[in-house]
Amino acid sequence: MTILISFDIDGTMEIGDPAGAVTLEMVKTARAKGIITGSCSDRPMSAQRAIWEQYGVEYDFVCYKHLLSDLKTQFEVEEYYHVGDRDDLDRKYAIQAGFGFFWPDEAAASPLLL
Amino acid sequence: MATGYAPSSMYRSREGMGIWEHKGKVAAVGVGHSPTERRWDERPETSVGAWSIMALRNAIADAGVEPDHIDGIVIVPETTTGAFWPDDKPLPQDVINAFVQTDDPLDGVAKLSVEWLLKNMPELTNINYSVYAPVCMSNALNVAAQAVGDGLAHTVLVLKAWHNLEGRYYQGGQNAQDAIGGTSAIRSLWGAPACYGTALQFAEYCRKYGKDHDMMTPFIINSRRNGLMFPEGYWAQHRPEELTPEDYQLARWIAKPANLFDNDIPIMCAASYLFTTAERAKDMKQKPVYVLNHVDSDAVPRGLTPTLDEVEAECALTGRKIYEGAGITAADLSFENMYDGFTQFHQFHLEGLGYRGIGFGDALDFYQTDISIEGPNPVSPSGGNIGSGRSRFWMHTDSIQQLQGRAGGRQITGVNAEIGVSGGPMPLGGNYTVWSATPD
Amino acid sequence: MKQGVIPDELTAPFWSAANESKLVIQNCSRCDRLQHPPAQDCGQCKSGENLEWKEMNGTGHIYNYGVVHDCPIRLLQDDQPFNVAVIMLDDDPGIQMYSHLPGTPVDDVPVGAAVEVVFEKSANGQKIPEWKVVN
Repeated sequence: MTILISFDIDGTMEIGDPAGAVTLEMVKTARAKGIITGSCSDRPMSAQRAIWEQYGVEYDFVCYKHLLSDLKTQFEVEEYYHVGDRDDLDRKYAIQAGFGFFWPDEAAASPLLL
Repeated sequence: MATGYAPSSMYRSREGMGIWEHKGKVAAVGVGHSPTERRWDERPETSVGAWSIMALRNAIADAGVEPDHIDGIVIVPETTTGAFWPDDKPLPQDVINAFVQTDDPLDGVAKLSVEWLLKNMPELTNINYSVYAPVCMSNALNVAAQAVGDGLAHTVLVLKAWHNLEGRYYQGGQNAQDAIGGTSAIRSLWGAPACYGTALQFAEYCRKYGKDHDMMTPFIINSRRNGLMFPEGYWAQHRPEELTPEDYQLARWIAKPANLFDNDIPIMCAASYLFTTAERAKDMKQKPVYVLNHVDSDAVPRGLTPTLDEVEAECALTGRKIYEGAGITAADLSFENMYDGFTQFHQFHLEGLGYRGIGFGDALDFYQTDISIEGPNPVSPSGGNIGSGRSRFWMHTDSIQQLQGRAGGRQITGVNAEIGVSGGPMPLGGNYTVWSATPD
Repeated sequence: MKQGVIPDELTAPFWSAANESKLVIQNCSRCDRLQHPPAQDCGQCKSGENLEWKEMNGTGHIYNYGVVHDCPIRLLQDDQPFNVAVIMLDDDPGIQMYSHLPGTPVDDVPVGAAVEVVFEKSANGQKIPEWKVVN
């Protein structure tokens, strides 16, 4: 099964501000399982690219969280997930785009990242 | 010594007052900053009180004066970015233990009094003039300049500090409640975020002059670029992220036509300046920067939110008052550092000034030309709030440093830094200072 | 859903009238000048002695609008994005009121169009003046 997971950064990832529950190691683990990963955050897209590169983590995409639905046109997979910390933005945009949604703590405990 | 708010007579609010009576006789010399942080981590050494003390001491050291030579202090007692300490949350005990307290337990944590500062800065032994200015450093600068000019004090510290606490901006308090009081309901029931009023004015501006949001792009990029060369600023210290046109133009709307990057980021920080007489300034460590004029805008909109007509009329009036009191014209300005937090204020201020000859409706076209610090028409060399986070004082620090020739990477090079203007925040309800490298 | 309203002394007449589907605005009889939001004193003569409430005819025009995508009020966040328009009353265009413009598509607002007041219930049942485009 092909899966795509999009990560918010601030409040979601350990490198966010505030820090969240999802570690870079979890992202690497997901990638090792063949999952397509990247970030959908409010941070500038150029900054999102810089973050992945700074930490040496490969990524397949960056985008703004309100443009989550655009990923569906770029990646044809069987399951799409977004991980984020805001009900009114992350969860809402995920639902609108037809993505599954995880809160950061849920994602950090998910077999997809472990 | 009881401290009260500055009387209205200290402000220059009217047109027709002539050249400021103390033009060139008051100078800024020292600049002091604290570090920046996104939110308070609840340690004593990063509290708004601790950082205020740090900024004040840095300004004193920068000016090279002895603390006991300082006889006046002007501060803004309000420190909130919109975050309030919860009523039911006890203050950290180590914060209480670290400072001499006043009767108000939130003093030094979520507000600031002169009494608290003097209790915790025992080196300030000769303060005999103290006064509060509301809300912004821009306001406090006006008061300090007038106080020194009037001889109420000869060496004055000016301070503005900001606290920001955990949680999301403006998401608590009455915004989280199921019902609110009738008076605030008349304005707030419709859920307009802080940038909404400015976004409205910008929307009308675009309709009237045939402009669009994307035309703001060069201003945004320029502001962030300049801010990343401001070592005291938030983005330079914590997230040195440049912005690209794609970053700005695709960002999500907050209140269309204002998007995420048209808004500034609330942060913790403090800054202080040392003001003195032009005479005393000659013997201090840094080159004096002379105050040519200060101006207050006290206009009140008729309705719920200012119309574009009201904004343009007030900005034009402010421009006239700025030039009249300083005895200069727009052609004398080397640079401008008007307010930008929200970005969509800035073009109104520029047009009101007639900066580089532009008129109403021209600023967004002007942004498409060279507005960099290297060019002949530098716009917001400080980078403002967009470049360094919400302080509303970067523009003042930058103006002083530009004219002292120590703005570092931000130093304007396309023109000589001789006269600049800074101020804000709102077109209706701002305070402005005209700075000069020479007293006349 | 809009937050409920707890009328206070200053605004009680405004909210009471709304519950009767009437729009009233504070007026200084000495200056013959409307003002909104209501205040303790007239914004012109600075006296509070001549303030009264005056019924409006309930018509206006859309002066301007923005589209709110990131609202600080919890109860409205499920409705994002939504229009927030500024209505200028025909009785006095200097008097402005906000509106979600019920029935008008998001970001498809006819600036300058005529509107008429309607009253909708908030979370606690208090009626709120709202505005609909007149077709």
